[in-house]
Amino acid sequence: MTQKELHDQRLIREAQDTVRRMHTRRHFLKESAMGLGALAMGSLLGNCGRRHENVMSQPAFDPAHPLLSKSPPFAGKARSVIYLHMAGAPSQLELFDFKPELTKMDGQDCPPSLMEGKQFAFIRGVPKMLGPQAKFAQHGESRAWVSEHLPHFSTVVDEVSFLKSVTTDQFNHAPAQLLLHTGSPRLGRPSMGSWVTYGLGTDNQNLPGFVVLTSGGSFPDAGKSVWGSGFLPSVYQGVQCRSEGDPVLFIKDPHGMSRDMRKASIDAINKANQQEYEEYNDPEILSRISQYEMAYRMQITAPEVMNINDEPEYIHEMYGTKPGKACFANNVLLARKLVEKGVRYVQLFDWGWDAHGDAPYNALNIGLINKYRSVDKAITALLLDLKQRGLLEETLVVWGGEFGRTPMMENRNGNQNPYKGRDHHTAAFTIWMAGGGIKKGFTYGETDEIGYYPISGKVEAFDIQATILKQLGFDHEQFTYPFQGRPFRLTDVGGKVIHDIIA
Amino acid sequence: MTILSIIDLIAPFHPVLVHLPIGILLLACFFQWLTIRNGYAFLRPAIPVALFWGMIGAVVSCITGYLLALSGEYDETLAGRHLWFGIAVAIFSLIMYVLHRLSINERAARWLSLVLVILIAITGHLGGTLTHGAGYLTAGLSTEGKKQTALKPIPNIQEAAVYADIVQPVLEAKCFSCHGPSKQKGKLRLDSPQSILAGGKDGKVLIPGKADESEMVKRILLPIDDDDHMPPKAKPQLTENEVELLQWWVGSGADFNKKVKELQVTEKVQPVLQTLQSGDKLGKTLTDVPEAPVAKADEKVIARLRQAGVVVIPVALNSNYLLANFITAGPMVDSTLPLLRSLKDQLIWLRLDNTPIGDSALDHVAALTSLRRIQLNNTNITDKGLVKLKSLTHLQSLNLVGTKISAAGLLPLQKLINLKNLYLYQTNVSRNDFNNLQKAFPSAVLDTGKYHVPTLAADTTEIKF
Repeated sequence: MTQKELHDQRLIREAQDTVRRMHTRRHFLKESAMGLGALAMGSLLGNCGRRHENVMSQPAFDPAHPLLSKSPPFAGKARSVIYLHMAGAPSQLELFDFKPELTKMDGQDCPPSLMEGKQFAFIRGVPKMLGPQAKFAQHGESRAWVSEHLPHFSTVVDEVSFLKSVTTDQFNHAPAQLLLHTGSPRLGRPSMGSWVTYGLGTDNQNLPGFVVLTSGGSFPDAGKSVWGSGFLPSVYQGVQCRSEGDPVLFIKDPHGMSRDMRKASIDAINKANQQEYEEYNDPEILSRISQYEMAYRMQITAPEVMNINDEPEYIHEMYGTKPGKACFANNVLLARKLVEKGVRYVQLFDWGWDAHGDAPYNALNIGLINKYRSVDKAITALLLDLKQRGLLEETLVVWGGEFGRTPMMENRNGNQNPYKGRDHHTAAFTIWMAGGGIKKGFTYGETDEIGYYPISGKVEAFDIQATILKQLGFDHEQFTYPFQGRPFRLTDVGGKVIHDIIA
Repeated sequence: MTILSIIDLIAPFHPVLVHLPIGILLLACFFQWLTIRNGYAFLRPAIPVALFWGMIGAVVSCITGYLLALSGEYDETLAGRHLWFGIAVAIFSLIMYVLHRLSINERAARWLSLVLVILIAITGHLGGTLTHGAGYLTAGLSTEGKKQTALKPIPNIQEAAVYADIVQPVLEAKCFSCHGPSKQKGKLRLDSPQSILAGGKDGKVLIPGKADESEMVKRILLPIDDDDHMPPKAKPQLTENEVELLQWWVGSGADFNKKVKELQVTEKVQPVLQTLQSGDKLGKTLTDVPEAPVAKADEKVIARLRQAGVVVIPVALNSNYLLANFITAGPMVDSTLPLLRSLKDQLIWLRLDNTPIGDSALDHVAALTSLRRIQLNNTNITDKGLVKLKSLTHLQSLNLVGTKISAAGLLPLQKLINLKNLYLYQTNVSRNDFNNLQKAFPSAVLDTGKYHVPTLAADTTEIKF
């Protein structure tokens, strides 16, 4: 049997299976009047819900031009997003959530009421409370509390909205990162950047619509799935670029191959793919063709855009870049350049924020100080630089981690850790947003006196996703993709737009 | 004294007790209908028993409810209606009980039981309204949440009159119903400056400058369960922001004429005032799409522009208004720009930044009179060309970063009163020009950029370990 016959046979078998599945489902419904009744009621009640007037369905997916710029359902305030993720989860208690009460409890045994029914990643037995490892002060007209660890950022608090009561249900890094960026703690869902580029395409066809930049010496724990496209067409996955060496791997012509020859070979591959498409009609093949073409165009544009060395000296000083090295500040400057050039979604991950205190590098008062210093200047420069270029009104900037840190000092497996550190904490942490139609100088949500639980303004990952989509012009409940027989959405069955922080 | 204290003791049990007759009477009605089926005929004797004890429960509820109403914490008309419906339930269940004892016909009994259910439902709903406030059933459906603020966004908060625009609307929404023209509980009226100052039965309610000692603020700040708390528990409460504003007004002298900018804005009230500002200066208006409908743009022109590498799309799926972005249009911008003219009614956002256009291109831009937002940053335009843009009367945001524009070139645009954002970083506008420009564009945010993030010693040092 030839390969083709084998393939055809498989196709036929799959088709028969599908028919059978249809049959059995129909049979089941016919047999159970209850089921039919419930279905009827479902569709009746469905119409009783929210009205969907003025909402047109999403633009159709065009496999030949998957990244062409598309209109959102509503006129959005933001046209692009820069998401700064501090992988490992920074401590809200050392940066934004000032808790003087916790200072008084420093060194005392943790009250049992805080431990009952709780699960921690590492804390066992009775840990000690740990006071804030920083001095705090109020800044700006909005009088926002920021610690001494972020001397630069504290000058721009009037540009941002703080969410003080963010909560998650995942206390390990990978699932929590996945939940925040894909809407599910398990693998397989498309990331937020994929959703956004699927829905909006991108303005610049010579660059990817969704760029990922990592720093800190390691990938986020969730791995590349955290910028994966899941069940969306693969053209929407994040394209990882580098701020050191070639911006995109293999973008240079191989030694001995001229640009013309490269073009000729890409044309040949595309021609073969085109024939393949005519035979099988698989839209993924068209996506592949367009990706080859974009890769060729990127050979010209990417090195120019990705090269931060062309920026003037004062910009480098403003961001605190380290030319020639892979670092967060370089990535932040690159993010600004990319957004300026029309890239839709830039996702940064900076690794190394996991402040357990079992070694100096992850101690709150040693290694983490270096982390604070490595991001403070760059983030501040980003907000100010976007602002002075008139980009902040159209660019939504988000900063945060995947969860927070406990008010207790970590005692790994019941033993006191040698350095000051905190365990993973899911109930309350801080994320801030700026630009893109978000309120300036605003704080939403409040935690209790030790920063353990939210007492107001509690939001979860779905709410943040819903808000980001809203600012881009989507109703997160209507923005869906059909997969495995049902429409999927980024926010699953949750998500409320945080209207309070929208200007 | 003893009787009084007994009343105080049993009255609060009313909200608990009422559930007994509700449950028992509903059960009786339910049985009444169940007995239609022969299989349930054995339940028939239980119906009068349930009716009897339900009736007793209803009577007890009526008595405790009456005592509770005496406390005066509740809205009189609503409490009165609730009371009378409660009494109706008690009487009606008694009638049904008697009819059952006289063995009336089954069908009549069934329909009577329906009436009873309706009476119970009305009474229960009124009771719910008393304890949870009006609209409690639908509160979960609205996105506003339980506490609704009486305050509407104010276009220019600094110019707003504190009493007329902020304090009075709050009092009107939350206090007037009992302390206004129709009712004067405690002989207090709050609907005019004179009556506020006059106070009520117990004397003055307002001590200007001393919020903590003013009765009307003190009452609001009491715990909600306190008998003296205002507004009464069952009534719509003031939101935190409203309380903050009221305290601020009384604390800063309770002046009835001053504007916001004339009072000392405290740290606490600053963010609250900010929430009243309708939109902030940035943001809101910028993305505003005109509400007036517009005809669909010529598809052929759009197709030709796209062919030339210009992004042209509707700003939203259901809108005919367009945005255009020349970011990938290449060096031939000057030849494609004239095409835009036929989109002049639809085009509201235009990005021409980082293109090689000069002053001559602005002739075409000047014709696009619907434009709300335009990015001309990093182009070769000069003051000479900029003058032409004074025809863009709807313009809200103008980005001139990285051009040779000077302050003198901007002044002819001062008739563009809708201009909210002017980006002037890396232009020939100097810091000395700033004050003059701000006067020329009083309602715009001028951003000359050049922000500096100093390098601190800590920025370049690492802690070694």
